Amino acid sequence: MKYLTYILRNARRNPVRTGLTVASIAISMFLMMILTSFFAAMTEAQSASKDFNRIIVMNANGFAGQVPIARVRQVEAMDGVVAATPFSWYGGKYQNQRVLFAQFAVDADKVFDTLDEYKLPPDQLAAFKAEKSGAVIGPKLAREYNLKVGDPMPLQGDIYPVDLKLNIRGIYESPRNTDQRMVLFHFDYLDDQLRQLGSSSGGSTTQPSSAAGNAGIIFVKCKDAASTATLCKKIDDEYRSTDFPTRTQTEEAFGQMFSEMMGGLKDIVYWIGCAVVVSLLFVSGNAMAMAMRERTTEVAVLKAIGYDKKLVLGIVLAEAVLVAGLGGAVGALGSKALFDVVDISPFTGGFLPFFYVPWSVALTGLGVSLFLGFASGVVPAVIAANSSVINGLRKVV
Amino acid sequence: MAASIELRGVEKEYRRDEFVVPVLSGLDLTVAEGEYLALMGPSGSGKTTLLNLVAGLDVATRGQVLVHGQDLGRLSESEITRWRANNVGFIFQTYNLIPVLTAAENVELPLLLTSLSRKRRKENVATALRVVGLQGRESHYPRQLSGGQEQRVAIARAIVTDPYLLVADEPTGDLDRNTADEILELLEQLNREFQKTIVMVTHDPLAARRAGRVLHLDKGRLVDDVINESSVSAAS
Repeated sequence: MKYLTYILRNARRNPVRTGLTVASIAISMFLMMILTSFFAAMTEAQSASKDFNRIIVMNANGFAGQVPIARVRQVEAMDGVVAATPFSWYGGKYQNQRVLFAQFAVDADKVFDTLDEYKLPPDQLAAFKAEKSGAVIGPKLAREYNLKVGDPMPLQGDIYPVDLKLNIRGIYESPRNTDQRMVLFHFDYLDDQLRQLGSSSGGSTTQPSSAAGNAGIIFVKCKDAASTATLCKKIDDEYRSTDFPTRTQTEEAFGQMFSEMMGGLKDIVYWIGCAVVVSLLFVSGNAMAMAMRERTTEVAVLKAIGYDKKLVLGIVLAEAVLVAGLGGAVGALGSKALFDVVDISPFTGGFLPFFYVPWSVALTGLGVSLFLGFASGVVPAVIAANSSVINGLRKVV
Repeated sequence: MAASIELRGVEKEYRRDEFVVPVLSGLDLTVAEGEYLALMGPSGSGKTTLLNLVAGLDVATRGQVLVHGQDLGRLSESEITRWRANNVGFIFQTYNLIPVLTAAENVELPLLLTSLSRKRRKENVATALRVVGLQGRESHYPRQLSGGQEQRVAIARAIVTDPYLLVADEPTGDLDRNTADEILELLEQLNREFQKTIVMVTHDPLAARRAGRVLHLDKGRLVDDVINESSVSAAS
């Protein structure tokens, strides 16, 4: 601590160079935080989902296949199941804009028993259940579009050939690492619309949509963790020989399946990260080397008056770590603070329902920056520590 | 008067590629405690090398350098670094202050190596700055000081740990005559009042005249050793 003043002043000695070094580290770290947080936040959310003991039933052939709606009640009747709801992706337009947020047809009576981390005030829940065209929306969506309970929310069909005239009956609350921009509405309302396509209208008769009666996927809330594995197998065994065989997995595995869809993107991000770290090593190493070259005489003076090798080494390393650490703090912790306050999900076209920089990522970023400082300072520090006092003073004492 | 510095058959050579360059040859010298010694001679005569040996910055190729009875050649690198911190104050021609530190912080630098409390360090710094006549300038940065003031800060830094030996390399080389006289006056005062042994390299005869003894070197050999009767050093 005695040497802190000297170290701090040295770091500020050339404000432009220090500023540029800090900025280059900060900007690079900021971008790295965004890239890595994308995966880390997803993984964190997937891990957190383990606590909710949920499994997801989908068609064995993937999202394109159907899961008959009757399966919801069949599954719910199984031993170990607390609640089950269909979760059917509607994918409509709102205000003529396409897929800006997730819209799911669900069982209004069961959805909040299944997704029990999502909370809705009892009066709003009752109103939602009571009205077939009722809908509940996420708080971010409400803020973004200035929507409130009682407002109409018309959605135009894009995947489905039907429009929905929804009325907002509730605004749910949910943890940060969940989708707070969803619209949940009655499955029956969508299904009825689809079935009505088959009825007569204006003298002509149309065929009911083939999508009618399709639950999409089924979210199942299990009694406990032990029953999740058993139920996955039991459900798949039950429907193995039907026209619509299922693939049932835990919610965590379901999330991982989405991650795997991104293929080698994670590896690419990892290698980009490595490249950034190496380039930053050169940037900060060069800055420290320049700084020490300018201070050859000063280092010689310090050594002349009694500063030993270890102390000189420590002072130079501390300065390098300080500068890089400052860049890391601005970039890594700054990105953490920024994305805790600023919600970028509206700007991702629904691609990212939530985005934040997890503490683990931010602290890793800071740690990497400190390591960068240390690594970049080692060579200049060793050179300074081993420099000749006499040569350093040039015109020697 | 006890010997402060003793050189016995000191030789110093430098290697320049395959060449061996002799700098000091068979030097014997005794400097008494509290003596004020000026080293003069043409460039390349070895006076700076001699100063380096006495200050523990360099090691003799042959012979012994004893300072206060301590054979400097027997000390390891870390021991001699510690020895310098405790026993030697350095005054450089170009002051060599740390530009990012204030006058007080520059003076405090050697004290950071000690176990003194922050309060004691501040007191010692204030005392050293008062001795060199710079009270009130504690918070000034080197760029805010004149050359003479900078050299005073450097002298304060040299004396703040109360070393018994001060080595000065042309301490007035960058100063005008009047300022140089003030600095030389200060060195005399340190020698006279605080009994510091001073070894000073100078090209300036007027500066040398202030010292109690003047040594002339030429081609690595001592060619003249003059006691300056007009000067009163602490040793006399």
